[in-house]
Amino acid sequence: MLANFRKTLARLFTFEEPKTKERFILKETEEEMAEGGQKEQDKKVEPRKKKNEGLQLNKKSGENEENKGPKPDISKALSENMERIKDIYSIPTNGDAVLREFDLVVKNKVIPAFMVFFDGMTDRKVINDDILQPLMLLSNLDIKSDEKSIADYIRSHILPHNQLKEFKAIEQVVQGVNFGGCGIFIDGVDSAFVADVKGWEHRAVERPNTEQTIRGPQEGFTELLRANTALIRKILNDEDLIAESLTIGRRSRTPCSMMYIKDITNDSLVKEVRRRLKSIKVDYLFDSGELEQLIEDSSFLPVPQIMVTERPDKAASMLAEGKVVVVMHGSPFALCMPVTNNELLHSPEDSYVRFPYANLLRFVRIMGVFLSLLLPGLYVAITNYHQEMIPTSLLFAIEASRERVPFPSVVEILIMEISFELIREAGIRIPGPIGPTLGIIGALILGQAAVAANIVSPILIIIVAVTGIGSFAIPNFALALGFRVLRYAYILLGAIAGFLGITTGLFLQGIWFVSEKSFGVPYMAPFASKTAGGIADQFARPPFWKQEKRADYMNVKDARKQPHISRGWKSQEGEDQKEEDDDAGK
Amino acid sequence: MQESKIVFGKWETAALLINALNVQVFLNFPRTMAERGGTAGWILAAYISVLAFLLFLLISRLYSRFEGKDLLDLGEYIGGSAGRIIVGIIILIHITFIISIILREFAEDMKVISLPASPISFVILFFLSGMIAGAYAGIEAIVRFHAFIVPIILAGYLIIIGGVAPYYNISNIMPILGNGAYAIFGSGFFRISSFSGLIALFLLFPFIKTGKNFKSAGSLAIGISSGVLITSALTFLLVFPYPSAIEGFLPIFQLARLINYGRFFQRVESIFVMIWAIAALLYLSMGFFLIVYVFSKTFRLEYYRPLIIPMAIIVFAISLWPKNLMSAIAMETVYFRSAAWAVTFGMTLLLLLVAGAMKKRNHRKEGDRK
Amino acid sequence: MKRTAAFLLMLAATCTLLSGCYDGKEIDDQTYVIAIGLDKGETNKLRMTLQYAIPLAMGSSGVSGGGGGGGGEGESKSIGSMTLECPSVYSGLNMVNNSVGKQVNLSHAKVMVFSEDLAKDGRMVMLTRAITRGKEFRPNMVVAVSRGSAEDYLKSIKPRQEADPSKYYELKFSGYKYTGFIDQTQLHDFFIKEESTGAQAVAALVGVNTKNSTKEFSVGESSAPQKNRPVPFEGDYLAGNLPKVGDIKGEAMGLAVFNGPKMVGELDGEESTHYLMVTGKYGHAYVTFPDPIKKDFYIVVNLKQSRRPTYKIKLVDGKPNIKVEIKLEADYMSIQSGINYESEYNDIFERSAEKYLEEGIKRLLNRTSAEFHSDIFGFGNQYKSRFLTWDQWKNFQWLDRYKNSTFEVAVDVKVRRTGLTIRNAPIQGSEGEVQSP
Repeated sequence: MLANFRKTLARLFTFEEPKTKERFILKETEEEMAEGGQKEQDKKVEPRKKKNEGLQLNKKSGENEENKGPKPDISKALSENMERIKDIYSIPTNGDAVLREFDLVVKNKVIPAFMVFFDGMTDRKVINDDILQPLMLLSNLDIKSDEKSIADYIRSHILPHNQLKEFKAIEQVVQGVNFGGCGIFIDGVDSAFVADVKGWEHRAVERPNTEQTIRGPQEGFTELLRANTALIRKILNDEDLIAESLTIGRRSRTPCSMMYIKDITNDSLVKEVRRRLKSIKVDYLFDSGELEQLIEDSSFLPVPQIMVTERPDKAASMLAEGKVVVVMHGSPFALCMPVTNNELLHSPEDSYVRFPYANLLRFVRIMGVFLSLLLPGLYVAITNYHQEMIPTSLLFAIEASRERVPFPSVVEILIMEISFELIREAGIRIPGPIGPTLGIIGALILGQAAVAANIVSPILIIIVAVTGIGSFAIPNFALALGFRVLRYAYILLGAIAGFLGITTGLFLQGIWFVSEKSFGVPYMAPFASKTAGGIADQFARPPFWKQEKRADYMNVKDARKQPHISRGWKSQEGEDQKEEDDDAGK
Repeated sequence: MQESKIVFGKWETAALLINALNVQVFLNFPRTMAERGGTAGWILAAYISVLAFLLFLLISRLYSRFEGKDLLDLGEYIGGSAGRIIVGIIILIHITFIISIILREFAEDMKVISLPASPISFVILFFLSGMIAGAYAGIEAIVRFHAFIVPIILAGYLIIIGGVAPYYNISNIMPILGNGAYAIFGSGFFRISSFSGLIALFLLFPFIKTGKNFKSAGSLAIGISSGVLITSALTFLLVFPYPSAIEGFLPIFQLARLINYGRFFQRVESIFVMIWAIAALLYLSMGFFLIVYVFSKTFRLEYYRPLIIPMAIIVFAISLWPKNLMSAIAMETVYFRSAAWAVTFGMTLLLLLVAGAMKKRNHRKEGDRK
Repeated sequence: MKRTAAFLLMLAATCTLLSGCYDGKEIDDQTYVIAIGLDKGETNKLRMTLQYAIPLAMGSSGVSGGGGGGGGEGESKSIGSMTLECPSVYSGLNMVNNSVGKQVNLSHAKVMVFSEDLAKDGRMVMLTRAITRGKEFRPNMVVAVSRGSAEDYLKSIKPRQEADPSKYYELKFSGYKYTGFIDQTQLHDFFIKEESTGAQAVAALVGVNTKNSTKEFSVGESSAPQKNRPVPFEGDYLAGNLPKVGDIKGEAMGLAVFNGPKMVGELDGEESTHYLMVTGKYGHAYVTFPDPIKKDFYIVVNLKQSRRPTYKIKLVDGKPNIKVEIKLEADYMSIQSGINYESEYNDIFERSAEKYLEEGIKRLLNRTSAEFHSDIFGFGNQYKSRFLTWDQWKNFQWLDRYKNSTFEVAVDVKVRRTGLTIRNAPIQGSEGEVQSP
């Protein structure tokens, strides 16, 4: 312990050559640099068929895995395979692993076979009707064509199931079975089929719980990967939307989907996200929250560098802005990256309500941030150091109310802040119906009683309450959490040196935030590292028809969201232009 | 240098310079102007702004042949390593002293304004921690933060200037020529040191890359700064008539103290403390970064970060040199502000002229050879 | 990065270690002075009276201030005061802290009252100069001169309408906007004018009204006899001698005139109004004019200053000749005689009002130059623009020349509105139409 401390101490004062590490910076795309965005349209007209292949569960990456993947080790002898499967799944110890043996008849030859699947994760009806029935009954039918191998024959004639894969390696089959597939082994065939018969219990699409809006779609993500990608695809309807499949987790092999729009998103960004996702080596992943922590730039920055959303429409709009969205199986929260501090303050509602109100909303939210971050600190600083700036009547009111309070105001505010955090934390843990009741008890009774018992002053209750309300006005939960943590630093700084302390704190925080990056994008963009349209487009919200460009700092391939005149009815010219645009698009 | 890849935009550079030039407004620029120019202090401010702008145009013209080179590179061009080291040491001494003294002044002022009982080293430590953090984060973060904060500082400044409008009295700036034409246009010339913050631009040229950005950022910064400098002197004189004006210390703070609208909106000068402290932190961290940067570049060191702590200790020590507030102010106003022009403008022009002549000669030689 | 974080942490740790929160003072550990009174001391240089707020008695917090409602007769519980003799203001504060538990804080002091004798022997100016160095004294604190002792004045203030006593002072000294009887002489202004080469200072005049019954009223106390008025007008009084009895004994009316460091005279309420008109600070107030047609009747108008006054200053034989033009607007508030000034005789009233005001203002101007030798209006500052450099102006010695000034005053009164009445109908009686008596 001591040695360790001495080492740290020595490290503080000696110099070690830093390891040179290239930091990822999101640069302008090569095309953009070379020809300036104009040529994008030519690129768009790529052969369409090829794209459609991309839609089907990413053949490419699958192939990749096959190439460098495990060795083909399925034996032609069924008994051997069965032994291995039994060994792998610890049958019969493992209760929900089902191994069903059966025979099928091909060209009047009886061939033994077996299938393996997990009970509960598969759909029984599909297995019965689409797999067992055809294999056991239909295989007897008269065959017209003459297939060479049994495997080909079975795939093309006997199994009518729609998602059927053939693997040569046991490991791949096992993966498929682990993820709700049904593995079929046939004697004399050195490969196995995996039919996708997922049928586990899951939650239906519900309203998003944490990000509610009044206007806008009311669907939220669920725990199913494909349902989630479908929810996004349903909104965008764009064949350029790519959903690359990746598996993360050495044991869990959790499927994830990395989504981006091919001709908008910067390639280097996609590459960087893919690189980070692929490099992850953990055993299991339970939620995208863990994935977030594994791929974010800085773990120490108190605010999130990846936006987490429960709303498909928000994820879709992020995609449309040129971001990458990662959806993980088993988590109803999608990760959108990169993200800037400013974007975390946006709510999907901003674009759904009309523009004057949207700007008011944004302003209120900024207020919320400042209140939740600084108000308690400012209160301590002002009451301890800058009493002259309190209006005299208020000063006397505070003095009178504090007169019977035995604590210094820092302690007082820390007591209240901590009890407020307690109420908040308890409110989440407490089972449903009691939750709100506890809120009332906490807020009213506790606050009232604390004041009556002269433990805190009534002014302070207002400060803490306003701070709490401010932090709830922040649309991103993780951001609000970050500011909640920082708030304590400001309370201490305010207590140490008043406004000087708080200003120094703001400066340090600013320098810190400004030097951070989220996936190569400066975290404080578009203000610090100023980019075009920072205030008008990103900070405030112009009318919808004026939101013409994607954020500059995203360095997207196609900067324009809509032509200069997007409301054709406003002018004849506009209509002409629109038609031209449509033509060009086709 | 690992930083040389970084390029700033025009506004970011301008923001850095605006703060570097205007931070003196929060110290005692308006008062110095009033002291020298009397009721015409604002004319003096305008005069030196025009002079500085003309000088800058001249420098940027001369600089056009040395695009992307800072003063150290010029020194090297003229006299090899020796030239670089001489120029580097001059700049180093210049900036180190200015930063140390200004650090002390800011801390002293902060102590007077809001922390009368705290020891000076305690107040300095706050500024120092900002400086160190800024230098660690590097010039990119400092510059970006400038771009973010400088508009806020300017807005705060405008609020102060506008807030005291009820106290304006035009007769306070009469007689129009104040202490006389010679005091303004003659001996006032050396007040051009007020623009010595421009040296930051000459040192950060490699980060700006193009001469066009150099010129436009410089012009923009001088334009906005001269606006601020002139209005600060003017407002101060409009509110505090001449003989009383030179009594007070911390002119802008005195102005902020006066703001009152009704019974509620008054005594807001503490808010001003925040604007003031953040401007100081920005300026000091920028200056401090320049110290370590110039040091590492002068001696061709690969990393500048290890220099931060030792340099911080040196700056801290120097800042504690002056015995008291008065001698700190005296050192700043009398010595540096009247001699600083020699380093910023004099040395730069000299280097540029010599380097220009040498380049021409080399060029001719090459031509002869061909 | 780790090293940076570690270093910053260490730095922060040293900061906290060093601190102990040197300057942090809780609000409830301090007591806030709202008014300071300074008199000549018997045993020492100064006698200082501090009036401080007692917030607990304000009953604003409502937690346990329930008993405060009763309130003693005429005794305001929200103010405490303390008088002591001390060599200087700051040393006095130190001495006060020995008996007051909480630390005395001056940052919310609203008014500083000096006694007349301090003002007259120049010590007041010296003291104000000395305290502007202190950060706690606000530049917009009101500086006032008390006729009689400042201690008595402060003790006479027992605000009962305001829960917060500081509000009383704030409102009272900003009342000049609708009375015109004092000027809100802020410390900043006072201080600047004391040092100015083209203006002299004034300070609001306050005093204690000692009358206990209406029987003590007398015309002699007013300045009406000097102005040849049978009945005093509202402005013919100085602070402390208004014919008034009531709960609040303290009064503010009139201005103290300074020449250099010394107070040289007093202006009554009406003169203060004129002072405000000439300097352009006049807001609006009810002003009584004699009826131009039926003497003995009064016309009351609400007089407003619509534009800033203009000054024309020239030098005649080395003596300043100052021409002041004042533009005023009026609304009729009451016309006792019942004459229809609104329509037919408006002109007559306007001319007579102009003449009346011109006379008054001229009397004031002459008084300041001949009697006080003090340019309280800042004409010098206007004249300053004629000079090119500061030295020329300084050598001109304006303040010395002012005593020889001659004045011309032009007042322009325009009646704009007539209140709710647009015409007076005659009063009817058994004898037919009754002309007002």
